Amino acid sequence: MNVSLRRFGDTCFTVTAVGSVLLLTAALVIILGPMIVRGATAIVFQGTIEFRQMQLTRHGRGDPAAVARQVASTNEARRPLYQALDEFKRGIDTACLEDEARQVYTELGKQLRNRNLPAEQLLTIRRHARHLRDTLVDAFEATDKAEARRRLLEVLAESDDPGLAGTVGERLFAMARDYQAGLDTLDLGQRQEYATALKEVQEALRKLLGPRPGEPTPPLAMNRYGATRMDLVERWEDDLLYGEKWVQKEPGKPLVKVRINRETEQFQGTRLASLFRYWRENRDAIMEPAFTVYWQYLIDDSVPGHFFGGVGPEILGTLVITVLAIAFAFPLGLVSAAYLVEVAGDNVAVRFIRMCINTLAGVPSIAFGLFGLAFFVGTVMDGVRCVLAASLTLGVLALPVVIRASEEAIRSVPSPYKEAALALGASRLRCFVTVQLPAALPGILTGVILSMSRAAGETAPILFTGAVAVGPALWEHPVWDWAGQQTRALSYGAFDLASNDRIAAMVPHQQFGMVMTLVVLVLLLNGLAIILRWRISRKLRGR
Amino acid sequence: MSDTTPMRAAGRGMIPRAAPRQRVPQAEGQPVIRSRDFTLLYGTKVGVQNITMDIYPQSVTAIIGPSGCGKSTFLRSINRMNDLIPHVSTSGRLQVNGVDVYDKRTNLVNLRQQVGMVFQHPNPFPKSIYDNVAYGPRLQGTRSRSRLDEVVERCLRGAALWDEVNDNLKKSALALSGGQQQRLCIARALATEPKVLLMDEPCSALDPIATGRIEDLIGQLKAIYTIVIVTHNMQQAARVSDRTAFFCLGELLEYDRTGTVFTRPANKRTEGYITGRFG
Repeated sequence: MNVSLRRFGDTCFTVTAVGSVLLLTAALVIILGPMIVRGATAIVFQGTIEFRQMQLTRHGRGDPAAVARQVASTNEARRPLYQALDEFKRGIDTACLEDEARQVYTELGKQLRNRNLPAEQLLTIRRHARHLRDTLVDAFEATDKAEARRRLLEVLAESDDPGLAGTVGERLFAMARDYQAGLDTLDLGQRQEYATALKEVQEALRKLLGPRPGEPTPPLAMNRYGATRMDLVERWEDDLLYGEKWVQKEPGKPLVKVRINRETEQFQGTRLASLFRYWRENRDAIMEPAFTVYWQYLIDDSVPGHFFGGVGPEILGTLVITVLAIAFAFPLGLVSAAYLVEVAGDNVAVRFIRMCINTLAGVPSIAFGLFGLAFFVGTVMDGVRCVLAASLTLGVLALPVVIRASEEAIRSVPSPYKEAALALGASRLRCFVTVQLPAALPGILTGVILSMSRAAGETAPILFTGAVAVGPALWEHPVWDWAGQQTRALSYGAFDLASNDRIAAMVPHQQFGMVMTLVVLVLLLNGLAIILRWRISRKLRGR
Repeated sequence: MSDTTPMRAAGRGMIPRAAPRQRVPQAEGQPVIRSRDFTLLYGTKVGVQNITMDIYPQSVTAIIGPSGCGKSTFLRSINRMNDLIPHVSTSGRLQVNGVDVYDKRTNLVNLRQQVGMVFQHPNPFPKSIYDNVAYGPRLQGTRSRSRLDEVVERCLRGAALWDEVNDNLKKSALALSGGQQQRLCIARALATEPKVLLMDEPCSALDPIATGRIEDLIGQLKAIYTIVIVTHNMQQAARVSDRTAFFCLGELLEYDRTGTVFTRPANKRTEGYITGRFG
C-alpha cells in the first residue's frame, strides 16, 4: 500500500472515530438534556405567594412577617375579582334572589310583630309586602326583559310606602333596583348558560387563587392553596380566560367544539367582562411571582398524589434498597468469582455454571420480579412485601454482573504477582486476599458500581416485592425496622406518576423532577465509580 | 532476634552478620539439595529426565544450557512452583535439607519460606517498598512494627538497595527502575531468611550496569545462602558461580566446578555449547 493511500486510510479512521464520539455525545445531550432541564424546574422556578404561604404553613420556612405582608397585598389585589364575581352572581342567580325575597318577608313579619302595631295595620302592611314579594319574584323569574322591567317598575312604584319605611322591607326595593341595573347588561334567555359559565370561572379562579379569605379550610391539602408556580398559573388561566362551546359549523353535520374567549364572546357586555381584563393586567400583583430555589425538594415528603412536595422518601427508599442489594450481591459475587477462577477446574459442570451465570445477566428484569415475588416474598418472607425482599431480588439481579466483572478482573491480575506471593510461602487463600484481590480491585469495583446503577433504576423487580406509590416515608419508622417495611422508590414512583396518577397529570413538573433525580443519582454513582477506580488504578500503577 | 553488629555505612553497605545463625562455611560433604533420578513430565512431554546432582551450601551453582533444555523446569521443581502448571507429574527424589520435596506430607509453606525465589522479570507487588519486603515476615506472623522495620532495613541493605530508597519507604515499588525492582525482589526473598536462593535468569531483563551490581550482590550473598542460578549468559556463569551444570534436552550432561567445565569440559556437547557452535 503506498503512503498516500495509507495516509488517506488514517484520516478516514480518525474522522470516523471522532465523529462517533461526537455523535454519541450529541445523542446523550439530546436525550438527557431536556429531561434534566425540565426536571430542574421542579427545583428552580417562579414561585407565587401561594407557594410561600404553603411553605410557611406546612414546613415553617420563610419570614412570617414578609409572607403576611404579601398575603395582605395580594388579597387587596384580588378583591375586585371577587366583587365582580359576586355582583354578577347575584344578577343571574335568581333562585337565590327569590329565596332572599322570601326571607325578607319572613323577617319583616317578625319585625312588625315586635312593633306592637294594631292588628288591622299589621295585616295591611303584610299583605302589601306579600304582593311586592310576589311581583318581585315574578320579575326575577321572567325571561322577557320587558316583562321583567315592568314588574320591577311596579315594585319600585311603591318604594315610598310609609308602612315599610325603616323595616327590612326596604331591602325588597334595593333588590329591585339592583336587578334593574343588572338587567341592562344581561341577556335573560342565556341565564342558564351564564350560570354554567360562571361556575367554570369560579372553579378556575379557585384553582388559581385557592380558597377565598374567610372560607373554611378545605380538607384536602391540595385544595388549600392556589397555583404555586407561574407555569401552572399560565396553564390554568387558560381555563379562566377561555371557554368551550358546541357549535354547528355545517348544517347536517355533528356539532363541533369551539374555543371561545370569555371576555369578548361569552360574557360580553356583562359586569363580569371586566374581571378578565383586570386579571390580565394585574396578574403579577395578584400572584406575586418571585424566583424560587426549592432545594428542599430533595428532602421533603409529598402530599399524596404528589400535588405538592418533594421526593425525599423516594430518594431514601431507592438508596436503602440499592445499598442492601449490593451488600448482598458483592460478597457472594466476589466469592463465586474467586471460586470460578482459582478453584474450579475446567470440566462440564463448571462450564455449565458459567453459562448459566452469563445467561442470567441477560434475563429481563420482570422475570426477576416475579421470581422475587414467588420466592422472597412468598416463601422467605411469608407473604410480607418489604424492603428486604425487594433488596434480595435486586441483589439476585446484580449478582451475574458482579460475578462476571470480578472474574475478569481477577483473571487479569498478572500471574507474576501470584507466583511471587506463592514463592514467598503464602497459602492460596492468603495469596488471593493479600495480592490478587487488591490488584483486581479496580475491575471489581467497576462491576459493582455498574450493577448498583442498574439496580437503582430498575422498576420491575421492586414492583411486586416491596415498592409502593403511597405510604409513610421510611424515616417514620425506627431504623431497625426499615428492612421490614414497604417503601416508595424513584423508579416505581416515576412509573406510577406517569401511568396511574390523575392528580400528578396536573403537575407534570413533579414527574420530570422525579425522573431527573433518578438520572442525576445514577450519574453521580457512576461518577463516583470512575473517580474511585481512577484513584485505585493510579496507586496500583505506582503513582 | 535483634542485630547488634554495627553497619558499615558508606556506598553500597555491607551485609551484617546475623549473630544467632552460625555462618561457618560447611564442609563440602553436606549437600543442601539432592536430586536422584528426578524426572518431570508435562503431560507426556518430557521436562527434565533422570537428573542426579548435589548442590552444596554457601556456594553459587549455575545451570546453563540452550533454550528449552529444562533449566527453569528443574529450578522451579525445587520449590514446587511447577504445581501451578496443570498435568505435571514427577518421579525420582528431590531433597532439600533432608526433606523430600514431593512427599505428600511436606509443608509447602515451610518449604517455600526455606527456599526463596527470584524471577526473570522483576515482579514486585503493587504496594509500597516497605510492604513488599515486609510481606514474607508478615506471612510468618511478625506483627510488631519495630521488628518489621528492622527486618526491612536489614534486607534492603543486604540487597544493596537501602541507600537509594531509605528516604521514602512508602513509595510504590512500581516507581523504581528495573534494576532497583530486581534488587527489591531479592530483598523480599531474603526477608523470610531462606537457606536457599533460587534465581531464574535474574539479570536477563536488566541493563549491564544493573547486571553488574546484581552479580556483585550474588558474590556477597553466597557467604550466607546457597544460591542456584539459571542463566543463558555463559560469561555470567563463569564470573559468578563455583559449580556449573550443563543441561541439554532435559538431561544433565555435565556438572563440575566452573573452572573445569569452562576450560576442560568432559562432554563433547558441553564444549560445543560453550564455544558457541550451537544453542
